Amino acid sequence: MKSKRSFLVQLQILTKRMTLRVVRRPLAELPNLIISAFFLFVYDGALGGVFGGNASGTPFDFANGNFVNFILPVSIVSASLSGAASGIYLVEDIESGVFKRYQSMPISRWAIILAPMNVGAFRVLLQAGLILLIGKFIGADPAVGNVGFLIVLSIAFIWGMGFAGYSVAAGVKSGSSQGAQAATFLFFPAIFLAPTFVPREALKGWLETAAAYNPTTYVIEGMRSVMVQGWEPDVLFRGYLSACLFAAITLTFAVISARKATEKA
Amino acid sequence: MLAVDVKNIKKTFISKQDTVEAVKDVSFHVKQGEIFGLLGPNGAGKSTTILMLTTLLSITEGSASILGIDVATKDKEVREKIGVALQDTGIDNLLTGHELFFTTCRLWGYSKKDSEVRTNELLELVGLTEAADRRVKTYSGGMKRRLDLGLSLVHSPEILFLDEPTTGLDPGSRRVLWDEIKRLRNNGVTVILTTQYLEEADELADRIAIIDEGLVVAEGTSDELKASIGGDVITFAFNHNDDLKNAKNILTNSVQEKNELRITVEDGASRIPGYLKDLSNQGVEVSSVSANKPTLDDVFLEVTGYRLEGSESSQQAKQKSKR
Repeated sequence: MKSKRSFLVQLQILTKRMTLRVVRRPLAELPNLIISAFFLFVYDGALGGVFGGNASGTPFDFANGNFVNFILPVSIVSASLSGAASGIYLVEDIESGVFKRYQSMPISRWAIILAPMNVGAFRVLLQAGLILLIGKFIGADPAVGNVGFLIVLSIAFIWGMGFAGYSVAAGVKSGSSQGAQAATFLFFPAIFLAPTFVPREALKGWLETAAAYNPTTYVIEGMRSVMVQGWEPDVLFRGYLSACLFAAITLTFAVISARKATEKA
Repeated sequence: MLAVDVKNIKKTFISKQDTVEAVKDVSFHVKQGEIFGLLGPNGAGKSTTILMLTTLLSITEGSASILGIDVATKDKEVREKIGVALQDTGIDNLLTGHELFFTTCRLWGYSKKDSEVRTNELLELVGLTEAADRRVKTYSGGMKRRLDLGLSLVHSPEILFLDEPTTGLDPGSRRVLWDEIKRLRNNGVTVILTTQYLEEADELADRIAIIDEGLVVAEGTSDELKASIGGDVITFAFNHNDDLKNAKNILTNSVQEKNELRITVEDGASRIPGYLKDLSNQGVEVSSVSANKPTLDDVFLEVTGYRLEGSESSQQAKQKSKR
């Protein structure tokens, strides 16, 4: 017997279907994960000796003796970029005509749009979680205790949803996977125009100014506060606020674009 | 109650570059339980018409109803009643046939248990039981079309829209799909299909509307359409262009196609000697002549002025040869 499906059940069915697609392409998950882990290992290997335990008592001791704690947020921000896959998933459905099939059925347009974002969110949690595990394995030890990992993961999640919103908006607007892929270009300014390797105070000139306007700066600093310094409510608040604002703006952008895409021509 | 009632619908696409009238004026009605064919070449407006009727495109002007439900204002109710297999609706290649049916059943509101039962029924119906656990990307074109058809039947729709269901299929797969469409009609499902294959329209459709350049130019049963041009079609073939040219001046009401002239007359066989005499008197050499009952092909030529030759050559066929 048939019965009316609620929005949430529709969303759950479509999310499950999208998850199956992701599971069937495990290799597609690897590049971003490998890059994030690569950053962690390479930066720790290259700079850990200078800014880690050996820097104790010097002006370069901004990592409080544990450079993994300091650099781990950079890898986490990189891992959270995996949320951008949401737009790619959605555009694949548009390009293949699956989107149109669902549009011809009496199911919620929003369930069709939100399902890939759900999977993107799950992907962010999974990849950021794996990087945190790797970080712990090589010596990460949050200054606020293990709850610090959860805080870092939660900021990463919000930040990742921001990327998801951006990629969905870009993908829907361009109608092509290339458009959604373009979201990943945000990665470079986001990561490198920020206090990636040293604290903001150590940046000079234009980079210092750029970092001040880059929301990634506050996200990284928020994560670092719990990893390196201990409880710093104002820094943590700025981290959450930046992530939330970024996500709110891009998700609004995504909603507007998606609404236009699902309207009848 | 009519299954589909379409009154003077139009569709205009307006962009910054230009304005395109994809459907200029289309009207027809479909009775419940019949197969209705929209026949026309690429770009005639068939698919746009189907997109409007399936609520995927808005109607610029005019009105349409499905089982008495207005398409423009009650699109959700319409979607409950219809099954849709469009030319460009997609199938998720990464999922298996079973997973696709199961997911679609769940979305249509079946419980998990009922979805399993319905999935197996539909797999059996479209002959995909053995391939059920294979990913769709390994299916042949014919299997994908059958899967597509099956997916549009999940909720047992009263009306089924099929947009060029057999385009690109080999003759064997086409025949299998035709049999399935006929079986659905025999079970009471109303089918509206578009096609650019004359043979398909002739074989399947109880009634046919010929669409050309966004307008319905003829409508009726296949026999009615054939009878509408009356009599027999006499075809004269010529080996030399000069003969063809001269003959065209003599047979003033003929239609040229390649090296042939066609003329539609009553009692064609008895008229042939007279025509041959007239041509011979003017020194025109005829290589062959035949008289046949009109085909749907002749009807198409009569109402549009060009011949429909199928998907790959329809554009070339659109070199209108005037009388």
